[in-house]
Amino acid sequence: MVSPFGWVVLLLVFTSFLLVYRIVFGPTSADRIVALNTITTKVIIVIAILSVLLEKFALIDLAIVLLMINAVSSLVLAKHLHRG
Amino acid sequence: MIQYVFLAFGITSMFFGALGVIRFEDVYTRLHASTKCDTGGAMAIIFALAIHVDASLLVRFKFLVLIFLISLITPMISHAIAKGAYRSGIEPVVGVDDYARDTL
Repeated sequence: MVSPFGWVVLLLVFTSFLLVYRIVFGPTSADRIVALNTITTKVIIVIAILSVLLEKFALIDLAIVLLMINAVSSLVLAKHLHRG
Repeated sequence: MIQYVFLAFGITSMFFGALGVIRFEDVYTRLHASTKCDTGGAMAIIFALAIHVDASLLVRFKFLVLIFLISLITPMISHAIAKGAYRSGIEPVVGVDDYARDTL
């Protein structure tokens, strides 16, 4: 029997594949940045859930580091939009 | 059993946030849906994990640190993207542009 957290991982992967549509066909580059940011947050949650399901709690540190890298990269991309 | 309530709230918020990013018509409305699902849904799911996990107190504290960082970082990122998109000349599809009226 699969835990409900396992089904949540499957649903998060499915919604990430839905968001790939916005990355490929986004009209402007700001749309692509928004969709990429959302996918990265979903990946962070998947890593946190897998750290509980696999009982490898060092993966939580990986999720925290990925969140910080997401912050820095999104700020750089927003600054690139700001310059035009 | 209370953790499954938080889990259901979080996954519903995430699913409809992704649906909003696909279906809405504008950068700013898409950013609105994306920020809701990123902040509320992510915090709810990780709080459910912090309740559910069968480990020491330090592991639960790490999940609480992750919740704190998400609540700080995600609104900051969406604010920066919205400001950058507005400054790069993307027009919002609205009747009255309040931001342009305020910053004249």
